[in-house]
Amino acid sequence: MIARKPSWLLTIVALAILFYMNAPTIVVVLASFSDTTYLTVPPQGWTLRWFEFVLGDSRYMRAIWTSLWLAGGATLLSLVLGTAASYALHHRLVPFRDVILSAVMAPLVFPAVVIGVALLQYVSLLGLRGQPLVLLFAHVLITLPYVVRSAMSSLTGINPQIEEAAHVLGASGFTAFRLVTLPLLKPGLVAGAIFSFVTSLDNVPVTIFLLTPRQSTLPVKIFASVEHGVDPSIAAASTLLVAGTAIALILAQKWVSFSRFF
Amino acid sequence: MTQSRNAGLGLIGPATVLILAGFLAPTVIMAMLSLRDYSGMQGIGTDWTLSNYINVLGDWFYLEIILRTLALGLIVTLLCLILGFPLALYILRVGPLMQTTAILLVIFPLLCNIVVRSFGWMVLLSPRGVINEALLGAGLISTPLDLMFNLTGVIIGLVQIYLPFMVLLLVPALQNIPADVEAAALTLRSSRIRVFFTITVPLASPGIITGSILVFVLSISALVTPRMLGGPTYRVMATQIYDEFMTNLNWPSGAALAFVLTFIALALIWAANRVAAHLTRGIPA
Repeated sequence: MIARKPSWLLTIVALAILFYMNAPTIVVVLASFSDTTYLTVPPQGWTLRWFEFVLGDSRYMRAIWTSLWLAGGATLLSLVLGTAASYALHHRLVPFRDVILSAVMAPLVFPAVVIGVALLQYVSLLGLRGQPLVLLFAHVLITLPYVVRSAMSSLTGINPQIEEAAHVLGASGFTAFRLVTLPLLKPGLVAGAIFSFVTSLDNVPVTIFLLTPRQSTLPVKIFASVEHGVDPSIAAASTLLVAGTAIALILAQKWVSFSRFF
Repeated sequence: MTQSRNAGLGLIGPATVLILAGFLAPTVIMAMLSLRDYSGMQGIGTDWTLSNYINVLGDWFYLEIILRTLALGLIVTLLCLILGFPLALYILRVGPLMQTTAILLVIFPLLCNIVVRSFGWMVLLSPRGVINEALLGAGLISTPLDLMFNLTGVIIGLVQIYLPFMVLLLVPALQNIPADVEAAALTLRSSRIRVFFTITVPLASPGIITGSILVFVLSISALVTPRMLGGPTYRVMATQIYDEFMTNLNWPSGAALAFVLTFIALALIWAANRVAAHLTRGIPA
Protein backbone atom coordinates (compact mmCIF):
# COMPACT_ATOMS: atom_id res chain seq x y z
CA MET A 1 0.00 0.00 0.00
CA ILE A 2 1.10 3.56 -0.61
CA ALA A 3 1.53 5.31 2.73
CA ARG A 4 -0.80 8.30 2.75
CA LYS A 5 -2.73 10.21 5.38
CA PRO A 6 -6.42 9.32 5.50
CA SER A 7 -8.68 11.93 3.90
CA TRP A 8 -11.41 13.66 5.92
CA LEU A 9 -14.08 11.64 4.18
CA LEU A 10 -12.32 8.34 4.92
CA THR A 11 -11.85 9.34 8.57
CA ILE A 12 -15.54 10.18 9.02
CA VAL A 13 -16.67 6.98 7.29
CA ALA A 14 -14.24 4.84 9.33
CA LEU A 15 -15.24 6.41 12.65
CA ALA A 16 -18.92 5.90 11.79
CA ILE A 17 -18.25 2.22 11.06
CA LEU A 18 -16.30 1.83 14.32
CA PHE A 19 -19.25 3.39 16.14
CA TYR A 20 -21.69 0.99 14.43
CA MET A 21 -19.47 -1.95 15.46
CA ASN A 22 -19.53 -0.97 19.13
CA ALA A 23 -23.02 0.55 19.41
CA PRO A 24 -24.89 -2.56 20.66
CA THR A 25 -22.37 -3.19 23.45
CA ILE A 26 -22.46 0.48 24.56
CA VAL A 27 -26.27 0.44 24.57
CA VAL A 28 -26.44 -2.73 26.70
CA VAL A 29 -23.96 -1.39 29.25
CA LEU A 30 -25.80 1.95 29.51
CA ALA A 31 -29.23 0.30 29.79
CA SER A 32 -28.10 -1.87 32.71
CA PHE A 33 -27.69 1.22 34.93
CA SER A 34 -31.15 2.64 34.27
CA ASP A 35 -33.43 3.10 37.29
CA THR A 36 -36.52 2.04 35.33
CA THR A 37 -38.29 -1.31 35.03
CA TYR A 38 -38.10 -1.12 31.23
CA LEU A 39 -35.05 -0.80 29.02
CA THR A 40 -34.15 2.73 28.06
CA VAL A 41 -31.11 4.55 26.67
CA PRO A 42 -29.80 6.98 27.75
CA PRO A 43 -30.52 5.59 31.25
CA GLN A 44 -32.94 7.52 33.45
CA GLY A 45 -31.46 7.78 36.93
CA TRP A 46 -28.47 5.65 37.84
CA THR A 47 -28.77 2.51 39.88
CA LEU A 48 -26.89 -0.69 40.62
CA ARG A 49 -30.01 -2.60 41.62
CA TRP A 50 -30.12 -4.68 38.46
CA PHE A 51 -26.63 -5.94 39.22
CA GLU A 52 -27.73 -6.67 42.79
CA PHE A 53 -30.69 -8.57 41.36
CA VAL A 54 -28.52 -10.69 39.04
CA LEU A 55 -25.86 -11.41 41.66
CA GLY A 56 -28.54 -12.30 44.21
CA ASP A 57 -30.56 -14.52 41.86
CA SER A 58 -29.63 -18.18 42.36
CA ARG A 59 -30.43 -19.16 38.73
CA TYR A 60 -28.23 -16.40 37.32
CA MET A 61 -25.44 -17.27 39.75
CA ARG A 62 -25.61 -20.97 38.84
CA ALA A 63 -25.42 -20.00 35.17
CA ILE A 64 -22.42 -17.72 35.79
CA TRP A 65 -20.56 -20.46 37.71
CA THR A 66 -21.34 -23.04 35.02
CA SER A 67 -20.00 -20.67 32.37
CA LEU A 68 -16.82 -19.96 34.31
CA TRP A 69 -15.85 -23.53 35.25
CA LEU A 70 -16.74 -24.71 31.77
CA ALA A 71 -14.58 -22.06 30.07
CA GLY A 72 -11.73 -22.49 32.57
CA GLY A 73 -11.81 -26.29 32.46
CA ALA A 74 -12.11 -26.47 28.67
CA THR A 75 -9.22 -24.03 28.25
CA LEU A 76 -6.95 -25.98 30.64
CA LEU A 77 -7.76 -29.33 29.03
CA SER A 78 -7.34 -27.87 25.55
CA LEU A 79 -3.96 -26.45 26.52
CA VAL A 80 -2.71 -29.83 27.76
CA LEU A 81 -4.19 -31.95 24.95
CA GLY A 82 -3.48 -29.35 22.27
CA THR A 83 0.14 -28.68 23.20
CA ALA A 84 0.93 -32.42 23.42
CA ALA A 85 -0.78 -33.10 20.10
CA SER A 86 0.88 -30.14 18.37
CA TYR A 87 4.32 -31.24 19.61
CA ALA A 88 3.82 -34.75 18.20
CA LEU A 89 2.40 -33.41 14.92
CA HIS A 90 5.11 -30.80 14.49
CA HIS A 91 7.96 -33.23 15.08
CA ARG A 92 6.27 -35.87 12.89
CA LEU A 93 6.31 -38.44 15.68
CA VAL A 94 3.07 -40.03 14.44
CA PRO A 95 1.81 -41.57 11.20
CA PHE A 96 -1.07 -39.98 9.21
CA ARG A 97 0.01 -36.52 10.39
CA ASP A 98 -2.12 -34.53 7.91
CA VAL A 99 -5.23 -36.63 8.50
CA ILE A 100 -4.98 -36.20 12.27
CA LEU A 101 -4.36 -32.46 11.94
CA SER A 102 -7.41 -32.00 9.68
CA ALA A 103 -9.54 -34.02 12.10
CA VAL A 104 -8.46 -31.87 15.06
CA MET A 105 -9.19 -28.67 13.11
CA ALA A 106 -12.52 -29.94 11.68
CA PRO A 107 -14.77 -28.57 14.46
CA LEU A 108 -13.62 -25.11 13.37
CA VAL A 109 -15.05 -25.42 9.85
CA PHE A 110 -18.20 -27.42 10.70
CA PRO A 111 -21.24 -25.21 11.39
CA ALA A 112 -21.54 -25.05 15.18
CA VAL A 113 -25.26 -25.84 15.13
CA VAL A 114 -24.47 -29.09 13.24
CA ILE A 115 -21.93 -30.13 15.91
CA GLY A 116 -24.59 -29.28 18.49
CA VAL A 117 -27.33 -31.47 17.05
CA ALA A 118 -24.90 -34.32 16.28
CA LEU A 119 -23.79 -34.30 19.92
CA LEU A 120 -27.39 -34.03 21.15
CA GLN A 121 -28.31 -37.18 19.28
CA TYR A 122 -25.13 -38.99 20.35
CA VAL A 123 -25.41 -38.25 24.07
CA SER A 124 -29.13 -39.08 24.02
CA LEU A 125 -28.27 -42.49 22.53
CA LEU A 126 -25.63 -43.02 25.22
CA GLY A 127 -28.01 -41.75 27.93
CA LEU A 128 -25.52 -39.09 29.02
CA ARG A 129 -27.53 -35.92 28.41
CA GLY A 130 -26.96 -33.27 31.06
CA GLN A 131 -23.75 -34.83 32.42
CA PRO A 132 -21.32 -32.02 33.30
CA LEU A 133 -18.42 -34.02 31.83
CA VAL A 134 -20.20 -34.24 28.48
CA LEU A 135 -20.49 -30.44 28.42
CA LEU A 136 -16.82 -30.10 29.32
CA PHE A 137 -15.64 -32.46 26.56
CA ALA A 138 -17.94 -30.79 24.02
CA HIS A 139 -16.31 -27.46 24.88
CA VAL A 140 -12.82 -28.96 24.63
CA LEU A 141 -13.78 -30.15 21.16
CA ILE A 142 -14.57 -26.61 19.99
CA THR A 143 -11.69 -24.87 21.81
CA LEU A 144 -8.94 -27.39 20.91
CA PRO A 145 -8.47 -26.09 17.32
CA TYR A 146 -7.56 -22.60 18.62
CA VAL A 147 -4.83 -23.96 20.91
CA VAL A 148 -3.49 -26.31 18.22
CA ARG A 149 -3.41 -23.53 15.64
CA SER A 150 -1.43 -21.15 17.88
CA ALA A 151 0.84 -23.91 19.21
CA MET A 152 1.62 -25.22 15.71
CA SER A 153 2.50 -21.76 14.41
CA SER A 154 4.67 -21.02 17.49
CA LEU A 155 6.48 -24.36 17.14
CA THR A 156 7.32 -23.49 13.53
CA GLY A 157 9.17 -20.42 14.78
CA ILE A 158 11.36 -22.33 17.27
CA ASN A 159 14.84 -23.41 16.22
CA PRO A 160 14.93 -27.23 16.75
CA GLN A 161 18.63 -27.07 17.59
CA ILE A 162 17.86 -25.31 20.90
CA GLU A 163 16.00 -28.35 22.23
CA GLU A 164 18.68 -30.67 20.76
CA ALA A 165 21.32 -28.68 22.65
CA ALA A 166 19.39 -29.35 25.88
CA HIS A 167 19.37 -33.07 25.05
CA VAL A 168 23.12 -33.03 24.44
CA LEU A 169 23.61 -31.38 27.82
CA GLY A 170 21.82 -34.32 29.40
CA ALA A 171 18.23 -33.12 29.81
CA SER A 172 15.57 -35.82 29.42
CA GLY A 173 12.86 -35.36 26.79
CA PHE A 174 10.30 -33.85 29.14
CA THR A 175 12.81 -31.69 31.02
CA ALA A 176 14.10 -30.24 27.77
CA PHE A 177 10.53 -29.50 26.70
CA ARG A 178 9.58 -27.94 30.05
CA LEU A 179 12.68 -25.78 30.44
CA VAL A 180 13.41 -24.86 26.84
CA THR A 181 10.50 -25.27 24.43
CA LEU A 182 7.60 -24.40 26.76
CA PRO A 183 8.88 -20.89 27.66
CA LEU A 184 9.34 -20.18 23.95
CA LEU A 185 5.80 -21.39 23.28
CA LYS A 186 4.26 -19.27 26.02
CA PRO A 187 3.11 -16.21 23.99
CA GLY A 188 1.43 -18.46 21.43
CA LEU A 189 -0.20 -20.58 24.11
CA VAL A 190 -1.50 -17.49 25.95
CA ALA A 191 -3.08 -16.25 22.72
CA GLY A 192 -4.60 -19.69 22.09
CA ALA A 193 -5.85 -19.90 25.68
CA ILE A 194 -7.57 -16.51 25.45
CA PHE A 195 -9.27 -17.45 22.20
CA SER A 196 -10.41 -20.75 23.63
CA PHE A 197 -11.67 -19.17 26.89
CA VAL A 198 -13.68 -16.55 25.00
CA THR A 199 -14.95 -19.15 22.51
CA SER A 200 -16.19 -21.39 25.32
CA LEU A 201 -17.70 -18.48 27.26
CA ASP A 202 -19.43 -17.28 24.10
CA ASN A 203 -20.81 -20.55 22.89
CA VAL A 204 -24.55 -21.04 22.48
CA PRO A 205 -25.14 -23.20 19.36
CA VAL A 206 -23.37 -26.30 20.78
CA THR A 207 -24.14 -25.79 24.48
CA ILE A 208 -27.87 -25.18 24.12
CA PHE A 209 -28.45 -28.71 22.78
CA LEU A 210 -26.60 -30.40 25.63
CA LEU A 211 -28.24 -28.72 28.62
CA THR A 212 -31.15 -30.13 30.58
CA PRO A 213 -33.95 -27.62 31.32
CA ARG A 214 -32.53 -27.14 34.84
CA GLN A 215 -29.01 -26.30 33.58
CA SER A 216 -27.80 -23.10 31.97
CA THR A 217 -24.76 -21.07 31.05
CA LEU A 218 -24.86 -17.27 31.17
CA PRO A 219 -25.24 -16.69 27.39
CA VAL A 220 -27.83 -19.48 27.11
CA LYS A 221 -29.72 -17.97 30.07
CA ILE A 222 -29.72 -14.52 28.39
CA PHE A 223 -30.74 -16.08 25.07
CA ALA A 224 -33.64 -17.93 26.73
CA SER A 225 -34.73 -14.94 28.86
CA VAL A 226 -35.07 -12.71 25.80
CA GLU A 227 -37.85 -14.98 24.46
CA HIS A 228 -39.95 -14.13 27.53
CA GLY A 229 -39.47 -10.37 27.18
CA VAL A 230 -36.63 -8.01 27.96
CA ASP A 231 -35.87 -6.05 31.14
CA PRO A 232 -32.80 -4.30 32.59
CA SER A 233 -31.69 -7.40 34.54
CA ILE A 234 -30.78 -9.04 31.21
CA ALA A 235 -28.74 -5.94 30.39
CA ALA A 236 -27.00 -6.19 33.76
CA ALA A 237 -26.14 -9.88 33.20
CA SER A 238 -24.84 -8.94 29.74
CA THR A 239 -22.75 -6.11 31.20
CA LEU A 240 -21.12 -8.59 33.59
CA LEU A 241 -20.15 -10.72 30.57
CA VAL A 242 -18.79 -7.66 28.74
CA ALA A 243 -16.80 -6.64 31.82
CA GLY A 244 -15.33 -10.13 32.07
CA THR A 245 -14.31 -9.97 28.42
CA ALA A 246 -12.77 -6.53 28.81
CA ILE A 247 -10.71 -7.67 31.81
CA ALA A 248 -9.49 -10.72 29.85
CA LEU A 249 -8.56 -8.43 26.95
CA ILE A 250 -6.59 -6.03 29.18
CA LEU A 251 -4.77 -8.89 30.90
CA ALA A 252 -4.06 -10.44 27.51
CA GLN A 253 -2.48 -7.26 26.24
CA LYS A 254 0.20 -7.62 28.90
CA TRP A 255 1.35 -10.87 27.31
CA VAL A 256 0.53 -10.58 23.65
CA SER A 257 0.72 -7.54 21.48
CA PHE A 258 -2.33 -7.18 19.26
CA SER A 259 -0.09 -6.83 16.25
CA ARG A 260 -0.02 -10.64 16.57
CA PHE A 261 -3.43 -10.62 14.91
CA PHE A 262 -1.83 -9.39 11.70
CA MET B 1 12.67 -44.98 16.69
CA THR B 2 10.14 -47.23 18.47
CA GLN B 3 10.57 -45.14 21.58
CA SER B 4 9.85 -41.87 19.80
CA ARG B 5 6.88 -43.48 18.07
CA ASN B 6 5.48 -44.59 21.43
CA ALA B 7 6.06 -41.10 22.81
CA GLY B 8 4.31 -39.66 19.76
CA LEU B 9 1.28 -41.91 20.23
CA GLY B 10 1.15 -40.98 23.90
CA LEU B 11 1.16 -37.29 23.04
CA ILE B 12 -1.39 -37.43 20.24
CA GLY B 13 -3.56 -40.16 21.80
CA PRO B 14 -5.86 -38.18 24.13
CA ALA B 15 -6.70 -35.53 21.51
CA THR B 16 -7.30 -38.20 18.85
CA VAL B 17 -9.58 -40.24 21.12
CA LEU B 18 -11.58 -37.08 21.90
CA ILE B 19 -12.00 -36.25 18.20
CA LEU B 20 -12.91 -39.85 17.28
CA ALA B 21 -15.38 -40.40 20.12
CA GLY B 22 -16.65 -36.84 20.45
CA PHE B 23 -16.83 -35.61 16.86
CA LEU B 24 -16.38 -38.33 14.24
CA ALA B 25 -18.69 -40.87 15.90
CA PRO B 26 -21.55 -38.35 16.42
CA THR B 27 -21.22 -37.12 12.82
CA VAL B 28 -21.33 -40.66 11.38
CA ILE B 29 -24.31 -41.58 13.57
CA MET B 30 -26.14 -38.43 12.46
CA ALA B 31 -25.39 -39.29 8.83
CA MET B 32 -27.05 -42.66 9.45
CA LEU B 33 -30.00 -40.95 11.16
CA SER B 34 -30.51 -38.67 8.16
CA LEU B 35 -31.03 -41.83 6.05
CA ARG B 36 -33.80 -43.26 8.27
CA ASP B 37 -37.48 -42.85 7.54
CA TYR B 38 -39.68 -40.90 9.91
CA SER B 39 -43.39 -40.70 10.50
CA GLY B 40 -45.22 -38.56 12.99
CA MET B 41 -46.98 -41.67 14.33
CA GLN B 42 -44.14 -44.15 14.72
CA GLY B 43 -41.20 -41.80 15.09
CA ILE B 44 -37.81 -42.85 13.71
CA GLY B 45 -38.06 -46.02 11.62
CA THR B 46 -35.56 -48.76 10.80
CA ASP B 47 -35.58 -48.63 6.98
CA TRP B 48 -32.92 -46.90 4.92
CA THR B 49 -34.22 -44.10 2.70
CA LEU B 50 -33.22 -40.92 0.91
CA SER B 51 -36.64 -39.41 1.57
CA ASN B 52 -35.37 -36.88 4.14
CA TYR B 53 -33.01 -35.36 1.61
CA ILE B 54 -35.64 -35.49 -1.16
CA ASN B 55 -38.03 -33.78 1.25
CA VAL B 56 -35.58 -31.06 2.23
CA LEU B 57 -34.45 -30.33 -1.33
CA GLY B 58 -37.86 -30.81 -3.00
CA ASP B 59 -40.31 -29.24 -0.57
CA TRP B 60 -40.85 -25.54 -1.21
CA PHE B 61 -41.04 -24.87 2.55
CA TYR B 62 -37.44 -26.06 3.07
CA LEU B 63 -36.18 -24.83 -0.28
CA GLU B 64 -37.34 -21.31 0.54
CA ILE B 65 -35.44 -21.48 3.86
CA ILE B 66 -32.28 -22.70 2.09
CA LEU B 67 -32.47 -20.01 -0.61
CA ARG B 68 -33.26 -17.32 1.95
CA THR B 69 -30.24 -18.38 4.02
CA LEU B 70 -27.93 -18.24 0.98
CA ALA B 71 -29.28 -14.83 -0.07
CA LEU B 72 -28.81 -13.57 3.48
CA GLY B 73 -25.20 -14.84 3.47
CA LEU B 74 -24.53 -13.09 0.16
CA ILE B 75 -25.96 -9.73 1.30
CA VAL B 76 -24.07 -9.87 4.62
CA THR B 77 -20.81 -10.73 2.84
CA LEU B 78 -21.17 -7.88 0.33
CA LEU B 79 -21.99 -5.36 3.08
CA CYS B 80 -19.01 -6.55 5.13
CA LEU B 81 -16.77 -5.96 2.09
CA ILE B 82 -18.26 -2.52 1.44
CA LEU B 83 -17.82 -1.47 5.10
CA GLY B 84 -14.60 -3.39 5.67
CA PHE B 85 -12.58 -1.78 2.88
CA PRO B 86 -12.74 1.86 4.08
CA LEU B 87 -12.09 0.78 7.67
CA ALA B 88 -9.07 -1.33 6.65
CA LEU B 89 -7.68 1.55 4.55
CA TYR B 90 -8.16 3.93 7.46
CA ILE B 91 -6.33 1.57 9.85
CA LEU B 92 -3.40 1.36 7.43
CA ARG B 93 -3.16 5.11 6.84
CA VAL B 94 -3.78 6.64 10.26
CA GLY B 95 -1.07 7.44 12.86
CA PRO B 96 0.12 4.81 15.38
CA LEU B 97 -1.97 5.92 18.38
CA MET B 98 -5.27 6.05 16.46
CA GLN B 99 -4.28 2.84 14.69
CA THR B 100 -4.01 0.93 17.98
CA THR B 101 -7.30 2.44 19.16
CA ALA B 102 -9.05 1.50 15.93
CA ILE B 103 -7.70 -2.07 16.07
CA LEU B 104 -8.89 -2.41 19.68
CA LEU B 105 -12.33 -1.10 18.66
CA VAL B 106 -12.43 -3.76 15.91
CA ILE B 107 -11.31 -6.59 18.23
CA PHE B 108 -13.46 -5.65 21.24
CA PRO B 109 -16.83 -6.43 19.62
CA LEU B 110 -15.32 -9.65 18.29
CA LEU B 111 -14.65 -10.78 21.83
CA CYS B 112 -18.04 -9.60 23.14
CA ASN B 113 -20.66 -12.28 23.41
CA ILE B 114 -22.86 -12.75 20.34
CA VAL B 115 -25.95 -13.05 22.55
CA VAL B 116 -25.07 -9.74 24.22
CA ARG B 117 -24.53 -7.99 20.89
CA SER B 118 -27.78 -9.35 19.44
CA PHE B 119 -29.55 -8.26 22.61
CA GLY B 120 -28.01 -4.80 22.14
CA TRP B 121 -29.49 -4.68 18.65
CA MET B 122 -32.90 -5.64 20.06
CA VAL B 123 -32.65 -2.64 22.42
CA LEU B 124 -31.70 -0.42 19.47
CA LEU B 125 -34.06 -1.73 16.79
CA SER B 126 -37.30 -2.73 18.54
CA PRO B 127 -40.49 -0.74 17.79
CA ARG B 128 -40.05 1.14 21.09
CA GLY B 129 -36.27 0.96 20.87
CA VAL B 130 -33.60 3.64 20.91
CA ILE B 131 -33.60 4.35 17.17
CA ASN B 132 -37.37 4.49 16.75
CA GLU B 133 -37.84 6.63 19.86
CA ALA B 134 -35.19 9.07 18.62
CA LEU B 135 -36.72 9.28 15.14
CA LEU B 136 -40.25 9.67 16.58
CA GLY B 137 -39.01 12.28 19.04
CA ALA B 138 -37.37 14.26 16.24
CA GLY B 139 -40.61 14.11 14.26
CA LEU B 140 -38.93 12.42 11.31
CA ILE B 141 -41.40 9.50 11.33
CA SER B 142 -44.94 9.17 12.66
CA THR B 143 -45.08 5.40 13.15
CA PRO B 144 -42.20 3.17 14.30
CA LEU B 145 -40.12 1.59 11.54
CA ASP B 146 -40.07 -2.22 11.28
CA LEU B 147 -36.38 -2.74 11.96
CA MET B 148 -36.61 -6.07 13.75
CA PHE B 149 -38.12 -9.55 13.32
CA ASN B 150 -37.44 -9.28 9.60
CA LEU B 151 -34.58 -9.40 7.08
CA THR B 152 -33.41 -5.84 7.94
CA GLY B 153 -32.77 -6.67 11.58
CA VAL B 154 -30.93 -9.91 10.84
CA ILE B 155 -28.70 -8.16 8.27
CA ILE B 156 -27.86 -5.24 10.60
CA GLY B 157 -26.94 -7.68 13.37
CA LEU B 158 -24.99 -10.20 11.29
CA VAL B 159 -22.94 -7.53 9.48
CA GLN B 160 -21.92 -6.01 12.81
CA ILE B 161 -21.04 -9.43 14.22
CA TYR B 162 -18.88 -10.65 11.31
CA LEU B 163 -17.36 -7.35 10.13
CA PRO B 164 -14.35 -7.69 12.51
CA PHE B 165 -13.25 -10.91 10.75
CA MET B 166 -13.38 -9.17 7.37
CA VAL B 167 -11.39 -6.14 8.59
CA LEU B 168 -8.78 -8.33 10.29
CA LEU B 169 -8.23 -10.21 7.02
CA LEU B 170 -8.37 -7.16 4.72
CA VAL B 171 -5.73 -5.18 6.66
CA PRO B 172 -2.84 -7.63 6.06
CA ALA B 173 -4.03 -8.29 2.50
CA LEU B 174 -3.82 -4.56 1.68
CA GLN B 175 -0.64 -4.10 3.68
CA ASN B 176 1.22 -6.69 1.62
CA ILE B 177 0.67 -4.88 -1.67
CA PRO B 178 4.00 -3.40 -2.80
CA ALA B 179 3.70 0.39 -2.83
CA ASP B 180 5.69 0.74 -6.11
CA VAL B 181 3.01 -1.07 -8.15
CA GLU B 182 0.37 1.50 -7.23
CA ALA B 183 2.90 4.33 -7.48
CA ALA B 184 3.82 3.19 -10.99
CA ALA B 185 0.18 3.24 -12.09
CA LEU B 186 -0.33 6.70 -10.59
CA THR B 187 2.78 7.96 -12.41
CA LEU B 188 1.30 6.60 -15.59
CA ARG B 189 -1.65 8.92 -14.96
CA SER B 190 -4.22 6.40 -13.80
CA SER B 191 -6.88 7.93 -11.61
CA ARG B 192 -6.90 6.85 -7.97
CA ILE B 193 -10.25 5.07 -8.40
CA ARG B 194 -8.90 3.19 -11.42
CA VAL B 195 -5.75 2.20 -9.51
CA PHE B 196 -7.94 0.96 -6.67
CA PHE B 197 -10.10 -1.27 -8.87
CA THR B 198 -7.50 -2.46 -11.38
CA ILE B 199 -4.49 -2.88 -9.08
CA THR B 200 -5.29 -2.76 -5.36
CA VAL B 201 -8.37 -5.01 -5.42
CA PRO B 202 -6.87 -7.76 -7.66
CA LEU B 203 -3.65 -7.86 -5.62
CA ALA B 204 -5.63 -8.09 -2.38
CA SER B 205 -7.92 -10.78 -3.82
CA PRO B 206 -6.59 -13.74 -1.76
CA GLY B 207 -7.48 -11.83 1.41
CA ILE B 208 -10.79 -10.67 -0.03
CA ILE B 209 -11.75 -14.23 -0.96
CA THR B 210 -10.69 -15.69 2.40
CA GLY B 211 -12.60 -12.98 4.28
CA SER B 212 -15.71 -13.29 2.11
CA ILE B 213 -15.89 -17.07 2.43
CA LEU B 214 -15.38 -16.88 6.19
CA VAL B 215 -18.15 -14.30 6.59
CA PHE B 216 -20.49 -16.17 4.22
CA VAL B 217 -20.01 -19.53 5.97
CA LEU B 218 -20.43 -17.99 9.43
CA SER B 219 -23.55 -16.08 8.31
CA ILE B 220 -25.34 -19.09 6.83
CA SER B 221 -24.52 -21.13 9.96
CA ALA B 222 -25.61 -18.46 12.46
CA LEU B 223 -28.27 -19.51 14.96
CA VAL B 224 -28.36 -16.93 17.75
CA THR B 225 -28.64 -13.66 15.80
CA PRO B 226 -31.29 -14.82 13.31
CA ARG B 227 -33.38 -16.21 16.17
CA MET B 228 -33.06 -13.08 18.33
CA LEU B 229 -33.41 -10.45 15.58
CA GLY B 230 -35.47 -12.48 13.11
CA GLY B 231 -37.91 -13.79 15.71
CA PRO B 232 -39.59 -17.21 15.64
CA THR B 233 -41.19 -16.73 12.22
CA TYR B 234 -38.20 -15.53 10.18
CA ARG B 235 -36.57 -18.89 9.48
CA VAL B 236 -33.05 -19.65 8.27
CA MET B 237 -31.33 -23.03 8.03
CA ALA B 238 -29.76 -23.00 11.51
CA THR B 239 -32.97 -21.94 13.27
CA GLN B 240 -34.93 -24.55 11.29
CA ILE B 241 -32.44 -27.28 12.31
CA TYR B 242 -32.90 -26.13 15.91
CA ASP B 243 -36.69 -26.33 15.57
CA GLU B 244 -36.63 -29.76 13.90
CA PHE B 245 -34.59 -31.15 16.79
CA MET B 246 -36.06 -29.27 19.74
CA THR B 247 -39.70 -28.50 18.79
CA ASN B 248 -40.87 -30.75 15.94
CA LEU B 249 -38.73 -33.66 17.18
CA ASN B 250 -38.31 -34.74 13.54
CA TRP B 251 -34.67 -35.64 13.99
CA PRO B 252 -34.07 -37.38 10.62
CA SER B 253 -35.33 -34.31 8.77
CA GLY B 254 -33.22 -32.01 10.95
CA ALA B 255 -30.18 -34.22 10.36
CA ALA B 256 -30.68 -34.06 6.58
CA LEU B 257 -30.95 -30.27 6.72
CA ALA B 258 -27.82 -30.16 8.90
CA PHE B 259 -25.87 -32.13 6.29
CA VAL B 260 -27.08 -29.88 3.47
CA LEU B 261 -25.74 -26.90 5.45
CA THR B 262 -22.46 -28.70 6.21
CA PHE B 263 -22.03 -29.68 2.56
CA ILE B 264 -22.53 -26.08 1.38
CA ALA B 265 -20.07 -24.76 4.01
CA LEU B 266 -17.35 -27.35 3.35
CA ALA B 267 -17.67 -27.13 -0.44
CA LEU B 268 -17.27 -23.35 -0.31
CA ILE B 269 -14.24 -23.52 1.99
CA TRP B 270 -12.64 -26.14 -0.26
CA ALA B 271 -13.31 -24.11 -3.42
CA ALA B 272 -12.03 -20.91 -1.83
CA ASN B 273 -8.81 -22.60 -0.75
CA ARG B 274 -8.27 -23.80 -4.30
CA VAL B 275 -8.93 -20.35 -5.78
CA ALA B 276 -6.81 -18.57 -3.17
CA ALA B 277 -3.92 -20.99 -3.74
CA HIS B 278 -4.21 -20.39 -7.48
CA LEU B 279 -4.20 -16.60 -7.02
CA THR B 280 -1.33 -16.56 -4.54
CA ARG B 281 0.96 -18.24 -7.07
CA GLY B 282 3.08 -15.54 -8.62
CA ILE B 283 2.47 -12.99 -5.86
CA PRO B 284 5.56 -12.62 -3.67
CA ALA B 285 4.70 -13.17 -0.02
